[in-house]
Amino acid sequence: MELIGYTCSYTPVELLAATGFKPYRLLHGNVGFITLGEKSVRVDACPLVKSNLGYIMANQKKFAAVVGSTGCDMARRMFDVLKELTNIPVYLFNNPRTDKPTIFYDEIDWLAGELECLSNKKINSEILGTEIDRWENARNRYRRLDQKRASNPSLISTADFHRAVMNYHKGEIGSAININENQSDKPRIYLLGSSIPYEANQILELLELDLAIVGDFNCGISRFLNINIKEKSLNGIKVAYYNQPPCIFKRPNQPFYEFIGTQIKELECKGIIAWTLDYCDSYEFELKRIGRIFELPVLRIRSDLSFQNLSQLKTRIGAFAEMLA
Amino acid sequence: MTEILNPRERFGLLVIDEKPDRCNIIPLITSHAATVAGIKLKEYYTDGEAMAKAQITAIEEYEHDAISIFSEVGIIAEAMGSEFNYPDDDLPVLRIPALTKFDIDKLKIPDPNKDSRLPVYLEAIEYAYSAVGDKIPILAYVPAPFTTGMMLSDPNQFLLDTIRNPEQIKKIIEISLEAAIEFSYEIINAGGLPILVDPLASGSVISPKAYQEFALPGEQGLIKFLHRYDFDVILHICGDTTPILDLLLLTGADLISLDKVELNLAIERLAPKMRIIGNFNTTKLGFGSPDGIASQVREMVKHGIKAEKGYIASTGCEVPIRAPTGNVKVFISAAKEAGWFLD
Amino acid sequence: MPRCWLKEFMKSTWFEVARPQKIDLNDWSQHFRLVRDEQIKEFNYYHNPEWGIYLSPPATFMVYGARELKRLKFDNSLASLRMWGFVFNESERLFRAKQMGKRVIATMGDLGTVPVIIMAFPNCIPFYPECIWWTPFFKESTVLLDTATELGIPEAACFSKATLAAFHKKAYFPKPDLIFASTGASCDDYSCIMQLVNDLGYEMLWLEIPFRRHNDEQYPDRFEEYLISEYERVWNKMVELTVINDKTGLIPSIKKANRLRSLAERIKQLTYEAPITPLPALELMTIEFGNLYGYADLDEWLDIVEMINETVAKRVEKGIGVLKQNAIPIAWITPSADPLLLNLVEDCGLRIVGTEYVINQALVPIEENVEPFRALARSFMKASLIGSTQERIKRIIEGVKNERIKGVLVTNMLGCSHCAMETRLIEKMLSKVPVLSIDVPVPFGITEQLRTRIAAFAETLR
Repeated sequence: MELIGYTCSYTPVELLAATGFKPYRLLHGNVGFITLGEKSVRVDACPLVKSNLGYIMANQKKFAAVVGSTGCDMARRMFDVLKELTNIPVYLFNNPRTDKPTIFYDEIDWLAGELECLSNKKINSEILGTEIDRWENARNRYRRLDQKRASNPSLISTADFHRAVMNYHKGEIGSAININENQSDKPRIYLLGSSIPYEANQILELLELDLAIVGDFNCGISRFLNINIKEKSLNGIKVAYYNQPPCIFKRPNQPFYEFIGTQIKELECKGIIAWTLDYCDSYEFELKRIGRIFELPVLRIRSDLSFQNLSQLKTRIGAFAEMLA
Repeated sequence: MTEILNPRERFGLLVIDEKPDRCNIIPLITSHAATVAGIKLKEYYTDGEAMAKAQITAIEEYEHDAISIFSEVGIIAEAMGSEFNYPDDDLPVLRIPALTKFDIDKLKIPDPNKDSRLPVYLEAIEYAYSAVGDKIPILAYVPAPFTTGMMLSDPNQFLLDTIRNPEQIKKIIEISLEAAIEFSYEIINAGGLPILVDPLASGSVISPKAYQEFALPGEQGLIKFLHRYDFDVILHICGDTTPILDLLLLTGADLISLDKVELNLAIERLAPKMRIIGNFNTTKLGFGSPDGIASQVREMVKHGIKAEKGYIASTGCEVPIRAPTGNVKVFISAAKEAGWFLD
Repeated sequence: MPRCWLKEFMKSTWFEVARPQKIDLNDWSQHFRLVRDEQIKEFNYYHNPEWGIYLSPPATFMVYGARELKRLKFDNSLASLRMWGFVFNESERLFRAKQMGKRVIATMGDLGTVPVIIMAFPNCIPFYPECIWWTPFFKESTVLLDTATELGIPEAACFSKATLAAFHKKAYFPKPDLIFASTGASCDDYSCIMQLVNDLGYEMLWLEIPFRRHNDEQYPDRFEEYLISEYERVWNKMVELTVINDKTGLIPSIKKANRLRSLAERIKQLTYEAPITPLPALELMTIEFGNLYGYADLDEWLDIVEMINETVAKRVEKGIGVLKQNAIPIAWITPSADPLLLNLVEDCGLRIVGTEYVINQALVPIEENVEPFRALARSFMKASLIGSTQERIKRIIEGVKNERIKGVLVTNMLGCSHCAMETRLIEKMLSKVPVLSIDVPVPFGITEQLRTRIAAFAETLR
């Protein structure tokens, strides 16, 4: 089955799936793909964007299309590069930045029309309804798991959870989910920041040697669980995706902080892991503010996705955990 | 309180009639910088790089708000032919005035890039500007025409001639003005902000009538030149300028640095039109106790910051060469304490 | 001939007879002595001859801390002197505006057309806070950049981070009465910086910029409608501030903006097409950026640009200019944060005949026979940043195709998100000509190595 790649949490997977193609979240963080991507962009580009670019270039035949958004400049510009270097149809929509849904709603209408042309298929309410059910059911399964992760004490590690949700992000929502429960009494922390690629699972494992990540707001882990489609229609999709907790690049971004603050309190977290990718303006600019607003110890982890400094990171994590204990 | 501005920014706000975070603090740390840097005075006033480095050391030590490039008021006169003695550990002393050697017609406008110690000044300015000029204003003190005129002459004869031979004095002042303009021109190109010093025009030396007839036109001429550059011009006259307060308003100066004048009086008469600089008694800085200095400075600044067009906390005259560094530090910290503008 | 008469004669005619050339600060100081007192008083901003004079030589601003002026070279016309005095005086002008009771409105540069709306209100002065990114270079100082780092912005971030420091220090412009900031298909760096400015306690109105998926002629009407609704929000906010609600003010504001745009365009065309370059690249770039908001006094800026236009036209007519006739024509993509680079490129025998300075929204004419907000929206839809890279450089591609442009120089800023992604793509799209991509170093950071690279690039083109 051919794939429709997508980059953004505001992309309605149900709409992509309605085309008959498999939605595939572009979340690769692999040195090999980064090297490939660096042939087309500068070294100081986001490693995730480079890696995704490299992945697409190496697997062009798999993609029927790639859908992206104006999530950040680099993610947006990736599509300029794809247009120039490949024949893959690309679709870029405006994702919501302020409190005005009009643009986003119109963009979803536009995207639906484009996907119909791409797939040569009328995306009617029946098809949409079916996909909404499928994906909502999938999300419910992961929500149940997430509740175990969030419980006190936590019963599921985020590393395991991340491995499980990869199936969702790769469009394999029918796959079985097998996670062993394992109670953790380690210090409870919240993870936020840049996207967590598939290959970054090793970082989560490293973190959870000493800590228990009980909640997150990262693309690539549980953000998708905030999508709750109540009405089985395109309108229902628009409303649900628009009303998900906002990205940090929403302006002003106080609602982002309010949401995270509530989460941290409910999950009884003692600390925060701020994970940023190199050159991720949206998060790197906010790191100081994150520390100030949440009044919790923050461990900053900056990564170029080469995962070369793991032993140094292990030491830092250990020290952080000791501080929280 | 935390300072968020650097001296450059602070001074910049003052001269466009905006309140900075706190008042500028610029005690006249000139040759005293040699003491702070631990170098002989002769090295200070004959070596531009040494002068600049000493000033930078002083700024690092005291954290005040400007660098002051200056040694003594005879510098232009010397370049025009007056001869000075250079003691090792004191400032140059006038030995033979130029006009006791030759006629006024033989006086030449000096080339600041070549003649006498004018290049020392320029070198000091360039060095300081290059090192810290982005953060700290570089003030270069230019002797005003009347003061230079007196340094070109036998001082007693000069003063007598203001009555007996006024036209001769005016000629001397005219040529001194030209020399000061050329010197200021090069100072500007080096990166310094020329400030006028006219200590020999003070009420302690000459009458208000003599000031108006001879010193004032010289100051006006130089200030007019500097105003072409849109500079805000500082005029410093030490001593007692109470008798000529109203005349100071006619100079065109934008900031007036005062010495033995009642600060409140100066604020009342001058502050609507000029920014006030001053005016802590330098003798007290040289010999006073730290506690005494601190309370007096606080009191002075408390009044000074009410000046309508703005205020710079300073000393009435140059900080004594051998003033205890502890006293100078107390001056500055007390001024900082009292000088905040609270919104 | 009496000496004083000769002096006056020289003062009045020198600028007319002087051969055009680029001169340094010392030369300008010398020539400035020939400028008459009346000329200095003649030019003032906000019609205030008391403190509004701005005709000063570069030395004035150098003394006040703009250290790079010691190394820069400028055009030697009176018009250019006037321009530089005016531009460097901007910070003071903004403070004076506020002192006079005018409203000072910060509008992010991406917005381009918002200043036109602001200027429809009497006594309202728009300005572009990100302009402060030039300041570290003119001052050869990292003060603002270091402050930005202390405030939390990472070191590897675009130089526009100086904006946050400027808002924090309050010493570079007065506290704005309103701030309009942009998000969406604009610039992440700017948007992130303004979010932090918001966090400092400055209220602002955020405008959402739609991404123009298509070319600048064929986009869905709804994009215009979005922009119009955003402009309505700007208008309402301004009405709230000024208690004036008269949309007829938009018409003269648009006319003025168009007058400026057409003058700037004429100067550019004259300069690009003349056999001998009549105006240096640094002055030309300053004129282009002036289109954004007129450096806080649009009327005076218009007058200055008219004067420059006359100067350039005269030089073209006489066949004289500031560079050698054999200077090689190149295009420049993305503005150089460091003005010295523009001097350097010309010193190496190149001339700039095409630019893409990411401000196309301020260069294109605004329609005058259409409802004003729609006209503004349409002109904004031609903005550089809101579309694809391919669209952005299409004029440069055209210039390469018709052999007007022999080479292209692309400047990058470390940490700039657009540069990181676009540069290689641009190089590929312009593969028919040599392309030199350079990273703008930190203030006072231009090395011999960089000079050598530019010189080698010029040699390649030769």
